[in-house]
Amino acid sequence: MFVENIIAASTAVFAWHNLILMLIGVLFGIIAGAIPGFTVTMAVVLTLPFTFGMPPVAGLSTMLGVYVGGLSGGLISGMLMGIPGTPASVATTFDGFPAVRNGKAGLALGLGIWASFFGGLFGACVLATLAPTIASIGLEFEPWALFSLIIFALTITASLAGDNLVKGLIAGNFGLLFAAIGAEEINSVDRLHFGIESLKGGFAYLPVLIGLFAFSQLLTDVEDPDVARSPLMDKTASAVKIEHWNAIKALGRSWVNVLRSSLIGVFIGVLPAAGSSISNILAYDQAKKASKNPERFGTGEIDGIIAPEAANNATAGGALTTMMALGIPGSPLCAIMLGALLIHNVVPSPLFISEQPVLAYSIFTAFFIAHFMMIAMQAVALKAFISITRIPMYTMAAVILVYCAIGTFALANSEFDMWTLFWFGLLGYLMKKFGFPLAPVILGVVLGDLAELNLNRAWTINPSVSPFFTQPWSLFFLLLAAFSTVFPWYQKHRGRQVWTLLFIPAMLIAQSIPLFMMGNVVRAAIGAAMVAIALWLLWRSHQSGWTPDSTQASQPKVHIEPA
Amino acid sequence: MKSLNKDTVISVILIAVTAIFFMETFNIPKFDYASIGSEVWPRIILVPLLVLCVIYFFQALRQKAAAEGRAVGIGATVMRYRNPIMGFLVFLAFLATVDYLGMLIGGVLLTFGLLTALGNRTPKALLLHVVISIVAVGTVWSLFTFVLRVYMPEGEILHLY
Repeated sequence: MFVENIIAASTAVFAWHNLILMLIGVLFGIIAGAIPGFTVTMAVVLTLPFTFGMPPVAGLSTMLGVYVGGLSGGLISGMLMGIPGTPASVATTFDGFPAVRNGKAGLALGLGIWASFFGGLFGACVLATLAPTIASIGLEFEPWALFSLIIFALTITASLAGDNLVKGLIAGNFGLLFAAIGAEEINSVDRLHFGIESLKGGFAYLPVLIGLFAFSQLLTDVEDPDVARSPLMDKTASAVKIEHWNAIKALGRSWVNVLRSSLIGVFIGVLPAAGSSISNILAYDQAKKASKNPERFGTGEIDGIIAPEAANNATAGGALTTMMALGIPGSPLCAIMLGALLIHNVVPSPLFISEQPVLAYSIFTAFFIAHFMMIAMQAVALKAFISITRIPMYTMAAVILVYCAIGTFALANSEFDMWTLFWFGLLGYLMKKFGFPLAPVILGVVLGDLAELNLNRAWTINPSVSPFFTQPWSLFFLLLAAFSTVFPWYQKHRGRQVWTLLFIPAMLIAQSIPLFMMGNVVRAAIGAAMVAIALWLLWRSHQSGWTPDSTQASQPKVHIEPA
Repeated sequence: MKSLNKDTVISVILIAVTAIFFMETFNIPKFDYASIGSEVWPRIILVPLLVLCVIYFFQALRQKAAAEGRAVGIGATVMRYRNPIMGFLVFLAFLATVDYLGMLIGGVLLTFGLLTALGNRTPKALLLHVVISIVAVGTVWSLFTFVLRVYMPEGEILHLY
């Protein structure tokens, strides 16, 4: 079945016109990702309207090309200019930029590109193998579990927003509220429209996304008049020759780092809404901790370049896994991809892979192929990037803003959508200024209807709250939600306060309870292993006299931003 | 009189917005056949939202002392955020006039307006802005209209369809 699906999908993906579209998408993605202030999300958003008339496989392949290209493109400006092209490449600048200044531009770019490639392939393999498995587990989810899963997605998004948990939760709730405005699906009732006719239809979520991320970002980019009027790069910059072979040899020597960083990337990607903006920093941090020469990090260290780039591309595979298997976007960028699927009449859910296997495997295949194209297009993109960066930021911002307006109108031939773009652009800008994270709003808007639908179904079957705590999967996600809410405090006080020594053991023991309740031998075994690890951690803390390990006290702060 | 810090002001605004939305839930029609009324879900969102906004308010009050003495005048704030404000205003003007001007003329004017508001205003720069506006918008408009068959707002001036 797997092989048949792959063959059928490959036939669709390897059609020549599809490959050309993907190549264009990858090239556009790399260039867009390389331009500071022009996020991958913006690139995918701008591509979306052009895919309307295409068959689903072609449209989605093109967008995946942009996605993969964009994630890899961020490294170019990060290394050559010291300004990350996207938040997914922030950590790449830590060692990439010093390496370029040390005269190793060719090797640094090669390392970044090939680390992205291997990380991406790892993510693609995880996507192809894990997504069907997660989807089959997802079929076990009843309305209580689906509702609780959404609650977990929202709380973890809010908790990963750094110090501002309350602001994150407020943002998530406002996202849910925006989704509740307009026509309600179950009883067909118009609500919360304040008598305004155009609000009765509610907000289409793609204009909301484009407004919050693209519109607000563009106006943030031109905030400083002097910066806005200056070219992104001076005229002395010129293209460099990428040292592919030396980079591959260096990666071979650092294969453990590649594997570890890719695993971190995939794990972060699978978490709802935790994108590559987090994984690249975590992977860098872990690479530094594992290194025999941590003092070299920040001076052009090879492992410091490999780790973030392997992680950010692997994250895409993990994020797509959650989106395709459960219909929950693994990152803000995946929320846009989810919108693209919906436009092509594809509704990601646990049934998606089994009901539309050719399309699902086409996505897996296209994601895989896009990484090879990314390697092939880097040299071309590098030259194009050097030319584009001589254009002042304000010119790009103005043109892209108009494209956003035209693209938003084209989504549904609706002028109201352009107004939505404007108001949510303004909202996004103000939220950034006042320290509110944007990702929870997006999750709230995307998942609001689904949460209400499942709550309604659950209540219709059994009008009681008890099943939310007695259904194993529901309890599993509610416990995760509870622990993810406390996580910011744990992160803040880890290594300083005694109670933090109990956090991980308590979480492991609590999460094992629903696993035991599932009545499955394998899951019970996993639960037993979790309890054993928890007891071992407690014993270790007891042995050390319940003294917090101060070396764990300083961790990098992670914030969710558009990836 | 001591000034409030911006978080306090925002939290008060958010509490007010939440309260207004909560009031609006009483205008949602009710049906006997519904297992959960359409007003229930918004209230499930709004109650914790209100609690969170109140927590945010008290957090903001505690931060007040640290924030005092950093007040900035409205004029300075406007100057500091001149570019984004201009960007929003030009876009608002575009939205308000798109029914009359249409997407093509409106889009060109929007691009020109943004370029001129954000960039240089020398004669050479203005000429460049005109060219960029016409080429950038004209190309995308043509692509959507003639290739993708997406018909943009036509407006009252040009009758193209």
